[in-house]
Amino acid sequence: MGALAWTMMGLALWHFTIFLPDRCWGGIIGAFLGCVFGAVLFGLAIHGLSVPGQEATDLATTLEGVPGALLGYGFFYLLGVRREAAQADEELPAT
Amino acid sequence: MSDRQRNLFVLLLVAGLLIASAIVIATKPTKLGLDLQGGVELVYEVQARAGQPPPTNESIQRAIEVMRERVDQLGVAEPEIQQSGKDQINVALPDVANLQEAIKQVGTVAQLAFYDWEVNVIGPDGKPAPDDPQVTGGPAAGDASSPGALSLYEALLRAEKRPAKIEPDNSRDGSLFYAVDHKQKKAFGLGEESRAEALENVPPALREQADVIEVKPDTVVVRAENRDGTAKPDKWFVLKDDVALEGKELKDPEQAFDQGPGGSGQPIVTFQFSDKGRKTWEQVTKQIAERGRNSVGILPGQSADQVFQHFAIVLDNELVSTPYIDFNQNPEGIDARNGSQIEGGFTIQSAQELANVLKTGALPVQLELISSSQVSATLGQQALNQGLVAGIAGFVIVALFLLVFYRVLGLIAVLALGIYGVYFFALIKAIPVVLTLPGIAGLILTLGVAADANIVIFERVKEEVRGGRSILSGIATGYKKGLTAIIDANVVTIMVAFILFVLATAGVKGFALTLGLGVIVSLFTAVLATQAILGALGKSRLIGKPSALGASKPKGDRLRLDYMGYSRWFFTASGVILLICALALGSKGINFGIDFESGTRINVALEQRVDENAVREVLAQEGLADAKIQRITGTEEAKGAAQFQISTDNLRPAEVTSVTNALETEYDLADTPSSTSIGPTFGQTVANSAVIAIIASLLVISAYIALRFEPKYAVPVLIAVMHDILITAGIYALVGLEVSTATVAALLTVLGFSLYDTIIVFDRIRENVPRMPRAAFSQIVNRSLSEVIVRSLATSFCSGLPVLALLLFGGETLQAFAFALLIGTISGTYSSVFIAGPVLTAWKEREAIYRRRRASIALDNGGLVPAYATGAASEQVDVKAGRRLNRGQRLTAPDDPEKVSREEFDDMVRDLHADPAARRTAVAEPPKRVTKPAKPAPKPEAPERDESADALPEDTVMPRRAGSDGAGKPKRSSSAAAKRRGKHGRHR
Repeated sequence: MGALAWTMMGLALWHFTIFLPDRCWGGIIGAFLGCVFGAVLFGLAIHGLSVPGQEATDLATTLEGVPGALLGYGFFYLLGVRREAAQADEELPAT
Repeated sequence: MSDRQRNLFVLLLVAGLLIASAIVIATKPTKLGLDLQGGVELVYEVQARAGQPPPTNESIQRAIEVMRERVDQLGVAEPEIQQSGKDQINVALPDVANLQEAIKQVGTVAQLAFYDWEVNVIGPDGKPAPDDPQVTGGPAAGDASSPGALSLYEALLRAEKRPAKIEPDNSRDGSLFYAVDHKQKKAFGLGEESRAEALENVPPALREQADVIEVKPDTVVVRAENRDGTAKPDKWFVLKDDVALEGKELKDPEQAFDQGPGGSGQPIVTFQFSDKGRKTWEQVTKQIAERGRNSVGILPGQSADQVFQHFAIVLDNELVSTPYIDFNQNPEGIDARNGSQIEGGFTIQSAQELANVLKTGALPVQLELISSSQVSATLGQQALNQGLVAGIAGFVIVALFLLVFYRVLGLIAVLALGIYGVYFFALIKAIPVVLTLPGIAGLILTLGVAADANIVIFERVKEEVRGGRSILSGIATGYKKGLTAIIDANVVTIMVAFILFVLATAGVKGFALTLGLGVIVSLFTAVLATQAILGALGKSRLIGKPSALGASKPKGDRLRLDYMGYSRWFFTASGVILLICALALGSKGINFGIDFESGTRINVALEQRVDENAVREVLAQEGLADAKIQRITGTEEAKGAAQFQISTDNLRPAEVTSVTNALETEYDLADTPSSTSIGPTFGQTVANSAVIAIIASLLVISAYIALRFEPKYAVPVLIAVMHDILITAGIYALVGLEVSTATVAALLTVLGFSLYDTIIVFDRIRENVPRMPRAAFSQIVNRSLSEVIVRSLATSFCSGLPVLALLLFGGETLQAFAFALLIGTISGTYSSVFIAGPVLTAWKEREAIYRRRRASIALDNGGLVPAYATGAASEQVDVKAGRRLNRGQRLTAPDDPEKVSREEFDDMVRDLHADPAARRTAVAEPPKRVTKPAKPAPKPEAPERDESADALPEDTVMPRRAGSDGAGKPKRSSSAAAKRRGKHGRHR
């Protein structure tokens, strides 16, 4: 149940990334992966790699998805920015 | 074959099948499931006996055979016993009202063991005494009248003294515990695996003074034989647990008659042995015979038959038979090469019973009841009525919608729906499919699917007719173009149904089967039959005018929105909904029903008008004060003055009976109670199978979409599906509705519906991509969505109508199912347009080719990219009619000029020049840079594509003539039209 809550939170937050510049690695799909996997992985990390069951899932469990989604998104965003920079470097004329 | 011949053939086929269906419907009975006619359903998990290898498929099938024979003895009409999954057996017993009795008769697979009697009966000193008839019983061996027979309490005291000893020939390797009351010298229960369980058999009032006796391994306490066939005697023997032969070594026990040489003609029981069993049997019977012979003369005055020694057949700690070995007839024991037989004192019935016992006990497996349910006949009839009303209502509202929206086409679609209904009902009877409540739900939903296929085609036909084609040509082209989308969408639904059928539990299987069958039948009726009918009506006045098809006014412009531009607001809306759902999930959780959580649910109808508190008082006396009691309302057909649903932890069948008996005593039951008990194993199986079904569906569907479209199309589809499933789950959490196996089926159906809609949208995008070679991807998607939005809304609305019928008329079970479907259908329609489309756009626009197009368009439009592709005069550009892609061909591959012959092209040019208003085939007007007039004709061979130019040679520009407003209806010169007659459907 915890995994479902994190996934749902990650997916919900991903929808708002449409307002941010499309600079994620992989574009909107990269942002999606970042948010969803970020939320789930972060949740797993703080629960010692275990998934809370039905009884153990509460509001706090769901909110644990928020930092994970943001971190995941940030990770993919940074990857995208670095890749863009690398591409720009490649396109510069050799001096 | 000409079109006319083809139509005639299809119509004859339809008529022939209708006649055949009518015959099947008239002659074959409908098999109703237990939920519709009442009865008992039991689900067993097959487990290995202790120390035995895991059950094989063969052993499960053997268990099923045994159960079937036992069920046949119950006289149950049309029982259903089948394997479900890897290790489960489903037993459906229609019209059986006594759950406990059914479980006892069907599911008790006893453990059978053969003992050498005299050497194992334990005497007062805790040791065997083979020569003491006071212990063994002599000729009365095993009988309740034997001097060695004891009360259970006495037997337990004797057994308690024996030490534990674990040997390979023991029937069990653990202790058994019996509760006793030393004051009353009474024992309770028949042996449990723990002290706590043993104490549960003691009435609460006596529990404090009760003690527990442990019977250690190597000792068994067996009930004396019941020779007179009356009640089981309370007489017991203590045996050393040295099993001579296990039941699993027996083969083919049968009741027969003693008709061999010198045979008496009396009923006997025959059986065969396995190789190992045969050797053991010969050895044991030889020892018994020798011991008998050696016993002659030990005691004075004893005749030979008085010293015959015995073997005992023990079934689940009860002596079934104690035959003797006649050492005169069998001095070397019994030659078991041709099997063996038990004779003497049998009636046919008692011989049959023993044979059945041997068969049952010979099973090498153990059966654990993991789910049991009982439905009263009244509730079954009520569910059937509700299902039928929902079905009729679904048909009527879908028919009304089709008639209002598509007029004559709608009438034909309604006719096709009627034909579909007849075929489908006949198919259900012919196969035969056991019709259950979820099955009826599947049937009702396929009405929507069948109508959807017609809508997809009819919208295409309307588009073509509005685009200026003749009615006949429009029909032919509409069917041709609509078919790809229908096949793609229906293949996906069939895949989901198949996966559900393979992986899901029994209740959902019925739904999956009817859904899958329905989709296949609907493809035939909605596509082939309607096309043949329309083709036959082609020249009739009935469809002579576009208005008859509902295609009189173009409505597309009203829905030409900037879907991609607005998408961020729709994303926000989805994000907010999901956020609320996620918070609801965290704070309220999902209300899982007993299907997942395990438990018992009892539905009772009481004669007296009482409230929940009165029922609770009765339940409290049964130790169920915490039970959830809910009054059921709105079931007018239910009997009694008050109906209640009682939900508790998982109860054993005896406890369920105890509860209903208590309610019967207090308030009188108006009807047979219905109950469902789900064990934790079954709930876990259901949950696992649901997760596996969802994952498998997603994987298979992704692979299919990646193959049929391109891999990038699969990802937005998955995101849209995820969006729909999570929103449906979230709304369940929000409103607190119970999640059952039916909800899982609904979720998987949502998955299918969501895909259906997304595929319809993506199919048009796929079609438009090569037709708009200069447009930005967002413009292509906007264009595609504006073209299919009516179709998408209409199909979803049409799918939603039967769901609405289920919600309104389907009764409690179907309503919960329909609610998930309704949410899913709404979410699916929304996500296919506002989630999947924008995600695909955002991803595709990162591709180099679309980035270049976008930059070029922005350059020409002052830095802005218009929502829709525009031409040189900032007017909207029309697109060329598409062409069907061949398998494996790239979506963006250039058109093959050979598809249109030189002669046809010349015709088209003459048509266009003859009529200044003709701009029907005007094509991708390029941006301002293009100033050349149209090329006169394309070159016959396909030129190489120039990626940098991003324009293809067939992008022929047909500049508008002066004075043309572009809105006029296209006309053809009569000569050209005459030449083109009969070539309808050709893409230009």
